[in-house]
Amino acid sequence: MAIKYTKKVIEHFQNPHNVGKIENPDAMATEGSPACGDQLSVYLKVDKKSQIIKEIKFQSYGCASNIATASIITDMALGKIIEEAKKITWKQAADKLGGLPPIKMHCSVLAIDALRGAIKNYEKNKLGKKFDESLNKQSIEKQLNEVIYGKVGVDIISLRLVKYIGIDEKNNVLIELSLNKEDQFKDDLKHEITERLNRFPKIGKIKIALV
Amino acid sequence: MKKNGVYLDNCKTSKLAPEVLDEMIPYLKGKFWYPGAFTSIGTEIAEAIDDSQKTIADVLNAKPKEIIFTSGGTDANNIAIKGLMRANKNVGKHFITSTISHPAVLAIFQALEKEGYEGTYISANRDGYLNLEELKNAIRKDTVLVAFTHINHILGTIQKIEKIKNILAKANHKIYLFLDSCEAFAKIPIDVKMFGIDILSISAHKFNGPKGIGALFLKKGTKIVPIQHGITRLHHLKPGSVNVPAIIGMQKAVQLAFENFEEQISKLRKLQNLLHNTISERILDVKLNGPPLGERSPTHLNFSFSFVEGEAIMLMLDFEKIYVETGSACYSQGLKPNYILMQTGRTHEESHSSIRFTLDRFVTKEGILRTVNVLEKVIKELRRRSPFGEN
Repeated sequence: MAIKYTKKVIEHFQNPHNVGKIENPDAMATEGSPACGDQLSVYLKVDKKSQIIKEIKFQSYGCASNIATASIITDMALGKIIEEAKKITWKQAADKLGGLPPIKMHCSVLAIDALRGAIKNYEKNKLGKKFDESLNKQSIEKQLNEVIYGKVGVDIISLRLVKYIGIDEKNNVLIELSLNKEDQFKDDLKHEITERLNRFPKIGKIKIALV
Repeated sequence: MKKNGVYLDNCKTSKLAPEVLDEMIPYLKGKFWYPGAFTSIGTEIAEAIDDSQKTIADVLNAKPKEIIFTSGGTDANNIAIKGLMRANKNVGKHFITSTISHPAVLAIFQALEKEGYEGTYISANRDGYLNLEELKNAIRKDTVLVAFTHINHILGTIQKIEKIKNILAKANHKIYLFLDSCEAFAKIPIDVKMFGIDILSISAHKFNGPKGIGALFLKKGTKIVPIQHGITRLHHLKPGSVNVPAIIGMQKAVQLAFENFEEQISKLRKLQNLLHNTISERILDVKLNGPPLGERSPTHLNFSFSFVEGEAIMLMLDFEKIYVETGSACYSQGLKPNYILMQTGRTHEESHSSIRFTLDRFVTKEGILRTVNVLEKVIKELRRRSPFGEN
């Protein structure tokens, strides 16, 4: 079956909106890494009084869908109050682009992560909000909720690919995935899960087993 | 090809030469018969096939009977590798290949491993040359086959076959040498006798011939069993219908590739140099992947463009009708960077930002210059968008 980008994706890739860096931003966040093939930085300026995002920019190291999703989420967030902008989902962003190929859905997740990350930083640093980032099954599951299985473009929790989440007293984590050992996405999933779980500052060793 | 298009992905597949199509048409229209004995129409086709075998055999320094037509490179590789391993399992079940072999070859070995065969995968250095010390050490009493890719399809590295031959000659028992020469054939001279090759595969669509046709050189006396079964028309290793038009087309493609061979290669080298030099002069922070220019396949160039990602480069070139290939994970089926670039010591970033350019007889100087003009703009624009581009 032909895999192709929608016209909307191509449009945003060719002429992306809000490209660049904001000098002295109110908040910024970077998600992904060049090693994974995509990295996105989102910069924000927020109006203190109204909490409206008055300026948003991004810089991307990534493929066409990475650039296009970054362009669309910055469009969607611009002019919204941060509480509303936080609610934008990766699914909405993908829909706004007329859809993304399953293998590219993770780009939309990355874009939303970067946006939410920037907002969270704003809330932390400018509004003094405190976040509980402790390690537990729910918080791990929440992270895994954002890991997309490239074959079908759906997250691994919804697909019930996660069979077990274990945390021991040393904060070592065991994730059991119901996946064939020859699955071509297994390395990508392992990489993605590890990267996400490493966001927990106190996490120990991460073991991912295929069952 | 779209108007003004520049096709630089010839390693994936190449354009059918018009002369090849002209040669095929009579066999697609009127001369639809099968090769056969005694009848006038059967004989005419049989003679045409004999002639095609001879054409291929001559350029390889082989005998016409040692040429078997297949349905392409993958088909040829399967017939050769599986047929040879199965035929010699009383001698042993061990094979040696490389971590940077072509994926079509690696897939066959992975399938054989499930059948109980055992493999050793030797590594390659940064330029893509096989580690021949590892080859020496990998040889065992039960080693039946050594199988390598002749020219690496990603890096353009030409393996030193005579050195491999010398290593195998020192073994205490016969070890067969198989080469996947699909990328090498028509790019470099191949002499199967001089190189000590037992089996070699080629594929017509890699050198401006038709798709769905390839050939095996099988040295007389090689112990092999068929992996496909049916009615033998030309050879028992490849039963079934004979794709006569494609065989005729392949013959013509071979003739075109080998007439004034040196001259054609020298023209390709000039274009390769032009592409290499103009990219190096006009775009900063680029790295050539693979061996030095003069050592590599005359049709291959592979560059990594720092701070940007390959699929984005490839698509922006595509918008301008310039067609290339990338080693980026974003373009792969399993979201993994190209394994050959990784196995030969590139970082993830270098693999993600790699672009392969592969030339053929239809590439022109104008096409190369247009490519670099567009590429320069594309890289500049993508670096403007990149968080790393401003450094």
